Amino acid sequence: MNSEAALGLAHLGLHPDRNRQLVERLGSPAAVLGAISAGSEAVSDAIRQSLASTPTEIETSLARLGAKALIRGTAGYPDHLNELPDSPPVLFVKGELPAVLAVALVGSRRATSYGRRLARRFGQAVAEVGWPVVSGLARGIDIAAHQGCLEAGGVGIGVLGSGLDRFYPAEHRPIGERLVAGGGAIVTEYPLGTTPEGWRFPPRNRIIAGLSAAVVVVEAAVTGGALITANAALSYGRAVLAVPGDIERETSRGCNLLIRDGAYPVLGVDELIEALGFVLGPPRVRPKADIPEEDPLLSALGSELRSPDWLAEHLNESPSRILAMIGRLQALGRIEFDGIVVAAIPGR
Amino acid sequence: MFAIVHSAGLVGIDPRPLRVEVHVGSAQQQALLVVGLPDTAVREARDRVKAALVSSGFKVPNRRVVVNLAPADLPKAGSAYDLPIALGMLAADRAIPTAATAVVALGELALDGGVRSTRGGLAAALVAKRLGLPCLLAPGAASEAALLPGVDIRPVTNLVEAIAIALGKIPAPEVQPMAAPVSAPVSDLSEIRGQLLARRALEVAAAGGHHLFLSGPPGAGKTMLARVLPSLLPALDDEALLEVALAWASAGYNPPGRCQPPFRSPHHTASVAALVGGGHTYLSPGELTLAHRGVLFLDELGEFPAQHLDALRQPIEEGSVSISRKGISVRFPSSVQLVAATNPCPCGFEDDRLVACSCPESGIRRYKARFSGPLLDRFDLRLKIPRLTAAELTGGPAENSQAVRARVVAARARQSERGQLNRSLSRPELDALPMTPEATSRLRASIDQFMLTGRGWDRVRRVARTIADLAGDQTVDESHVEEALVFRSSV
Repeated sequence: MNSEAALGLAHLGLHPDRNRQLVERLGSPAAVLGAISAGSEAVSDAIRQSLASTPTEIETSLARLGAKALIRGTAGYPDHLNELPDSPPVLFVKGELPAVLAVALVGSRRATSYGRRLARRFGQAVAEVGWPVVSGLARGIDIAAHQGCLEAGGVGIGVLGSGLDRFYPAEHRPIGERLVAGGGAIVTEYPLGTTPEGWRFPPRNRIIAGLSAAVVVVEAAVTGGALITANAALSYGRAVLAVPGDIERETSRGCNLLIRDGAYPVLGVDELIEALGFVLGPPRVRPKADIPEEDPLLSALGSELRSPDWLAEHLNESPSRILAMIGRLQALGRIEFDGIVVAAIPGR
Repeated sequence: MFAIVHSAGLVGIDPRPLRVEVHVGSAQQQALLVVGLPDTAVREARDRVKAALVSSGFKVPNRRVVVNLAPADLPKAGSAYDLPIALGMLAADRAIPTAATAVVALGELALDGGVRSTRGGLAAALVAKRLGLPCLLAPGAASEAALLPGVDIRPVTNLVEAIAIALGKIPAPEVQPMAAPVSAPVSDLSEIRGQLLARRALEVAAAGGHHLFLSGPPGAGKTMLARVLPSLLPALDDEALLEVALAWASAGYNPPGRCQPPFRSPHHTASVAALVGGGHTYLSPGELTLAHRGVLFLDELGEFPAQHLDALRQPIEEGSVSISRKGISVRFPSSVQLVAATNPCPCGFEDDRLVACSCPESGIRRYKARFSGPLLDRFDLRLKIPRLTAAELTGGPAENSQAVRARVVAARARQSERGQLNRSLSRPELDALPMTPEATSRLRASIDQFMLTGRGWDRVRRVARTIADLAGDQTVDESHVEEALVFRSSV
């Protein structure tokens, strides 16, 4: 009965803080539902209409989408969220939440191509050693991290600030679907049909932190959701790592402040994996790339970022030949080329 | 009592012969009538011609004089027919020998009998060549006409001298070579350091005539790259030079530099008429035609209004633009190579490595929607141009334009054997061109990976064909396709 009431209450899509305060004040989800239907707690007409849905109806519409509701305190609800003071009473999940803690890769929506490239490489590296990657399916750092994870064939979790049937931005839906198809999940505490409104995203970030053993802030300004995620992780006793950046650059200030305040600085892919190993246990050995030694460009590149000009000079090849080599490795998914620098994509 | 003097007019860029027929009639009434659909300026010619005749020591015929500018349906404008009218009147009045009218003449008369330059020198030369007559022109117009070899061009400075020169009594002075026009702002490739990708893209664009799209933050050097392109193109041959000169003459400009293809860079506030051509009674060509056989550079493509870009699309595809007004239709040539540059978003930093974009997401979408769609489809080469750091800008001495132009010329020769520039290869033509099986399978694999559309596929094939031409290969192989894939970056 109590879990049905929790589901019914979650279906209203109240602000998570208000939801929690009401339950604390009135004693139980059932009491809150009663107060709302009696009119002693004022809510908008739209929310009042949601009161009519029965738990069976809610579960049927979730099932139609291939999703389910996990209720706190019942089987299936992730243990590592159960213990948190402000964990969501109900999680709507499509796909399978991994049983182990994940690594959160987060950062600004307004990211530089540098930040996006790092997020992608980190996503790949973390997935390669077998750890799930969690992020928020937003533009910029988030989506690059998800993509990197998918490219390495890893398990990824996307935490939405809307219902499972809405994506923000909408063009990220295919990535979300691929996360589910790849053995991961998309999750949210908001009911189906919830539109992505600005105020729904900050509470969403505590779920990202709650699902992770460590939060890696790749690139973030001082204002922004990534720092909310980092603060939540600190309050949960999870590790926080940050990628240092230029001190003059707006989009690095958040990361640099975190490092000043004690976050572990990430200085490279290998160091990231090593540092994460302390909280997640020894990593699986990353598979070695299968052709790098044979390919002159890949071996010249190593793990550095190089311009085509540098490669042409170093390999003593014509521009045309170098570009053909870049085109081939790009088509094989071995390197990334943003028009200025070439970076190797670690083998899968 | 009757005389004919040949002259010329321009319709679009077509030089048309024009006959100035003069009849001197009865002495009962004194009158000077000019007929043949002339505009105001031609009617004003009556008074100028009378004054010039008197100043030059001739008498205005004391008779009824009818001047007909034929054919009547040819639109005429300006004051260019003063000189032939004066010659015709004098010859019809028997004041000078009829032999003086065996010329093609063009020029405005000053009230003191001087001859002034007008538009159309080159058109007059073409007509003179066709008729096998000498060509009398003011010195300025004569310089323009001298672009056409094999014509007897005779510069004249006043009416009396013109008559003597027409009759061969005194020799015509030398034609002064045309003053070098204000040099087009074209840069040399050696000024671009580093940027291997961009340099190679320019070479490929020049070789295949491909339209080039550059996207990058402010200060990345997009404009500089565009200005280099004309220096990589083959020099204009005589035929092309004549077309360019006629196109420029029809707009009232001196032709651009002798051999280098023109480079035009209209501002985004230019009107549709300024871009594609237009006007009222006198139709002028637009920037498209001034860039004929050269490069049309659209800087800040996103700032051009959508309907202006739409108006450009068809002329660029067809190589000519038709303008119709009030019963007259004119065709201007517009075979241009397009270079467009744009910021990736309103603030310019969407793709930057170091500066984060400050645009709202909806703003980026709206901005990109402006230059997406049908026009963007025409660009075979699309490139992101990043800002370089100081370290990346320093580099060894780079190859100059001349060295690259030699390869471009060779690649173009291979294309002309096939009959057309690679830019205009259609899908069936691409299908018919030889390609190794490995190249084909690499292309097929890229369709899924880069989500290439049918048109995207064609673009890669056209560029690969040009890369093969630059390498001197008959068959497109795997490495050509691989290089072409680098230039496919979606914008």
